[in-house]
Order: sequence, then C-alpha cells, then structure tokens
Amino acid sequence: MKILVCVKQVLDADGPVRIDASGKWIEEAPAARFRMNRFDEFALEEALRIREGFPGTRIDALSAGPARAAQTVRRALEMGADDGIHLFLDDERYRMPFEIASLIGAYASDRHYDLILAGVMAEDDMQGQVGPMVAEILEYPWATAVMSQKLHKTGDGPDASGTIYVERELEGGLREAFELTLPALLTIQSGINRPRYPALSHVLRARSQALITIPASRPGETDPVSFPAPRERIQSLEEPAPMKTGVILSGNPSEKAEKLRQILQERAFL
Amino acid sequence: MNNEIIVVAELSDNRILPVTYELIAFARALAAGDSAPVRMIVPGRETHAVARDLADETGLDTIALVGDPLAFYNAETWMTAMAARLAVRKPRYICIAHTSRGCDFAPGLAVRLGASCITAVEGFSRQDGAARFVRKIFNGKIKMDVTPERDTTVLTVLPGAFKVEQKSPRAHLAGSMEVLKIPDHPQKIRTLGVIPAEEQDLDLALADVIVSAGRGIGAEENLELIRRLAGLFSKSAMGCSRTVCDLGWLGYKHQIGLTGKTVAPKLYIACGISGAVQHIAGMRGSKMVVAVNKDPRAAIFQIADIGIVEDLMTFIPLVMDA
Ligand SMILES: Cc1cc2nc3c(=O)[nH]c(=O)nc-3n(C[C@H](O)[C@H](O)[C@H](O)COP(=O)(O)OP(=O)(O)OC[C@H]3O[C@@H](n4cnc5c(N)ncnc54)[C@H](O)[C@@H]3O)c2cc1C
Ligand SMILES: Nc1ncnc2c1ncn2[C@@H]1O[C@H](COP(=O)(O)O)[C@@H](O)[C@H]1O
Repeated sequence: MKILVCVKQVLDADGPVRIDASGKWIEEAPAARFRMNRFDEFALEEALRIREGFPGTRIDALSAGPARAAQTVRRALEMGADDGIHLFLDDERYRMPFEIASLIGAYASDRHYDLILAGVMAEDDMQGQVGPMVAEILEYPWATAVMSQKLHKTGDGPDASGTIYVERELEGGLREAFELTLPALLTIQSGINRPRYPALSHVLRARSQALITIPASRPGETDPVSFPAPRERIQSLEEPAPMKTGVILSGNPSEKAEKLRQILQERAFL
Repeated sequence: MNNEIIVVAELSDNRILPVTYELIAFARALAAGDSAPVRMIVPGRETHAVARDLADETGLDTIALVGDPLAFYNAETWMTAMAARLAVRKPRYICIAHTSRGCDFAPGLAVRLGASCITAVEGFSRQDGAARFVRKIFNGKIKMDVTPERDTTVLTVLPGAFKVEQKSPRAHLAGSMEVLKIPDHPQKIRTLGVIPAEEQDLDLALADVIVSAGRGIGAEENLELIRRLAGLFSKSAMGCSRTVCDLGWLGYKHQIGLTGKTVAPKLYIACGISGAVQHIAGMRGSKMVVAVNKDPRAAIFQIADIGIVEDLMTFIPLVMDA
C-alpha cells in the first residue's frame, strides 16, 4: 500500500496577519510563525493508523511551497511519514487551489498511490478545494469531510486493490456512509482522531533524512511538474472594519469588567 | 458563452432545504446587473413534483434531474450527471450551497468543466461591470475579493450570508419545467446511507444566554472559569467552537456552527473564539454578542455588540468579582 498525505504550511493566524505591499497576499513579517495546517495533522495521523493496521504500508508526505515549506515536510517525517516530498516553489506568491491541485496531480499521476489523504480545508485560504480537485484530476473517487474510515484491502503488491468504507460529516450531527473503490482520495475533517506527538526516534531519523525536492516550474514549462494558468484572480485583500455596530470597551481590565456588568444589568441579564 | 445562472437546489427527503432560497436570492441579485436568466436544477430520484412547485413558486425555469442513481447523494453521480448537462449549457455561473454536500462535489465539478471555482462566497460587488466575489480567509481576519478568469464559474455560497428577501410573493408567471433522466450508475462510489445523529439535548436550544469557549481558553481546566461565568445567568448553557470538541475538552453536542448547532440566544458570550465563518454561521442570529479575545483584530469583533480586548484568564474573574 502506498499513501500520499498532502500537508500545507500555513501562517499561524494567532499573531498579526497583515496584507503585503502588493495588496494581494499576506506579508511575511519577521516574527511570523509558520506551521502545519491542523486539518492536515488529522490526515497524517489517520495515515499512520492505517499503516499500523496494514504493516508494510508506505506513507509519503508532500507539501508544495517556498523554501520554508521544507520545515512542514520535516515535521511530517517527525510525526512518522516514511518519505517527505517538497514541491519547491521559487517564490512566495499565493497559488489558487487549482494550480496546487494540478501540481500535486502531476506529481502523483504515475506513482500509483492507493490512497491520498488531504485536509478538509487549509486554515489560511479556507478554500476546501485542493483535495477533491486532485481526485478529479487523477480520476480517483473521493469523499470530503471524512470522520471515520475502514480500509478493506485485497491482494498485495503493486496491483493491490480494495475498497474503503467512509463516513462523512453532514450538518446537524448526521453522517453519511459510502464505500469507495481504491485508489481513492479522502479529505479528513478535524476530530476524526487525536494527532500524536512525534516520537523521539522519528524526530532523530527526520533530522538526518533527506527530503525529496522537486522544483515546480513556471507556466508553459513542462518538467517535472508545472503550473496551469490560474483560473481565478485575487483583486484585493482588505482588513474588515473591526466593528459594524458594536463598541469596544475601554479602560483598564477592572473598569471594563465593571462596564460589562453594568450593561448586562441594564439589559436585565443579571 | 451565455450569461445564464444555474442554481443547484439542495434537498433532504425530497424537500427543498431553506439554503436553496438563499441561493436563489443570491443568483437573482447576481443576475440583476446584466438581466441574466436564472435556472434551477433539482437533482434526486423523483423530483418532478418538487421542481414543478419551485417553478410555480419562483417563476424560474426548472430542470428536474431525475433517475434511480440520484436516489441518494453521491459525489460521483452528482458530478457526472450535472457535468454532462452543464457542459452543453455553458452557464456563466453555477451556484451551489456551501454545505457539506455542496463542498463535496463543487470543486470536482469545476475541474471537470474547466471552470473557475470560488468557495464560501459571502457576497459580491460589481466593478466595471464585472462581479467580484467576497470571501474570508485566515479565520475571518481578512476579506478577499476574487474574480473568475474562465467563462464558467462554480460558486459555493455560505449559508446564512445572503439574506432571503421577506418571503417573496408567488410568481405571477410560473417557470417552465423540464425533466432530464440520468441513466448512468456510479462506478466507484457506493452510497450506504445516512447515519442518524447521536442523542442531542435541548440545553442550547432553550438557553437565553450561551457562554461559549474557544481554543483561546488554553486548557481543559480553564473550562471551569467559563462554567462559572455561565452560572451567573439563569437559563444559560455552555457552547464551544469545534476546536474545543476536537481537543476533547467538551462533547460535540456543545459545538456551535456550520457543522454543529445553530443558536439564537438573547445573549451570546464568545470567550477565546476567533470568529471563523464556520463558527459565525451557527450564532449570527444571537440578539446580543459579547466577545472576549486578546487579539483586537479577531474576526469575532466584526459581529460583536460589545468587544473586550483582554486575556480572558484575567478578565473573566474580574467580571465575577465586580
Ligand atoms: C467543514 C468545516 C466545518 C466546520 N464547522 C465548524 C463549526 O460548526 N463550529 C466551529 O466553531 N468551527 C467549525 N469549523 C472550524 C473553524 O474553521 C475554525 O477552525 C474554528 O471555529 C476555530 O475555533 P476557535 O475560534 O476556538 O480557535 P482559533 O481560531 O484558534 O481561535 C482562538 C482565539 O482565541 C484567542 N485567544 C487565545 N488566547 C486567549 C486568551 N488568553 N484570552 C483571550 N483570547 C485568547 C485568539 O486570539 C484566537 O482569536 C469548521 C471547519 C470546517 C472545515
Ligand atoms: N501547497 C500545498 N501543499 C500540500 N498540500 C496542500 C497545499 N495546499 C492545499 N493542500 C491540501 O489541500 C487541503 C485543502 O486546501 P485548500 O483547498 O487550500 O483549503 C489542505 O488541507 C492540504 O491537505
């Protein structure tokens, strides 16, 4: 069995998020903290659990991004992926989901993954598109927002086949179940598992293991993986006005607490 | 290229879900600029009657996309059935609900059609005649305006973002209704059915005041603080963001948002919640929103009536002592 897990490096939004000079993406402030997209941690953890059930399974973790994305690939190795692939972008420009999906699709097209896992959504662009797009490009069946899975494999080796049972999340606590023929792609919803902390042995191995770095070329060029023309264009980014109708309480913390209590009393909540 | 706008209806048990009317309102507003025709697609095993009703009620031309393979939702059948019909129509826009199912098939459909794809759309503006679609990124901290580059664009529209005008009057002229039958059965995905929700309790639905915890509470122990704050109010309940459930700090029945509960209490107090669109989708109906967050730029402040920029660990005890 061969599994590919797509892991994206994202800017941690707990800190300041500022629009860059071009007005089209986010500034990389010196203090900016980058980390693995949390939904992808769930996807990677799910792959590790499948490997535990099917020894001999190989897990590749892949990230497309600029030089710094190598840290996220390495993080995936620390968590337990067997190989790390960095589709290297030579600038920090934002790419639309279809562009990224095409790169990942081109990389995966002749590598015969039995299963591809992605996160349900990236925390930065919040598109939720790359997973199903990769599946459609590769003509794999897919299910998004998966909350549980069970793999049934028949045969072994390169022509292994089988099916995967999945439950995907609907609104209001409902789920719906499907059986997909392998090879297939799933996007993993948060809460399916508890991602583990890296084991020391993996951390040590990851430190010395070389990443597989593949340059992603510019549109028009072909080798080894290249970009299609973008299908959408960002016109502008904007920080929304902090408040439409409300007020931000001012003063020191105790004054604010006093004001809040007053307001709540006036409105008869207290 | 033609300027037609297609709305894909979302049904449950052969009933039109309310989000479909939001899509219609969105499509009509989008059409107004260039008086484009809006047409509905109603997929399902036997949607003739539902499609007929919709055509009567809205005056829109409606296509009932029917057949046994469409008895249950299935990404493969949905996408294949729609792509075949849409590829010949070449509509300008295809509007799909940003629901679990909508998000499941929309991006694949866009790839198959060679279309642009814009998800979680909350609105649009017009500039030099072209529509710019508005969506949020970074948990709502930044607003993004996007334009499509292709002749056809697949849009998923965020539930609750686009208000339905007061129950629009029944159309004077009923729309036409066309039936298209789907023969193709799915090859790679088999539908096994819907699994009912675990038992729910009514606490959140009945509460006047909901005090909600986000990842910003920092640790499970600190839930106690939130619980004590909730205890100040009568008829109160504890809610939380999805992240808090994922961390195992509270059960999923407390989750508020797109994939959790939708609530509309008299007072909603958000503690350490960033205000991602998926969370807002479940509480935007609250009468009054108080937000406590240490980040002055957190998106939750955009919809708050009272905002407090403080560390909740120091602030909440002060509120209880005040
Ligand atoms: C398909 C899908 C469905 C989803 N459905 C839902 C849903 O139904 N409900 C939901 O909630 N989410 C849902 N999400 C997840 C959503 O996108 C966000 O990831 C989630 O809401 C973030 O939760 P949070 O605000 O608790 O955490 P974060 O976004 O991490 O925010 C934490 C906040 O706490 C603040 N903070 C930190 N420390 C302190 C402190 N000491 N004092 C004060 N403030 C502090 C930070 O400034 C930050 O704003 C869904 C996602 C997907 C992809
Ligand atoms: N640059 C990338 N490198 C690797 N995987 C990615 C990348 N962008 C997106 N993905 C995967 O696609 C998922 C959805 O991303 P998005 O469509 O951007 O919301 C993420 O959770 C990742 O699993």
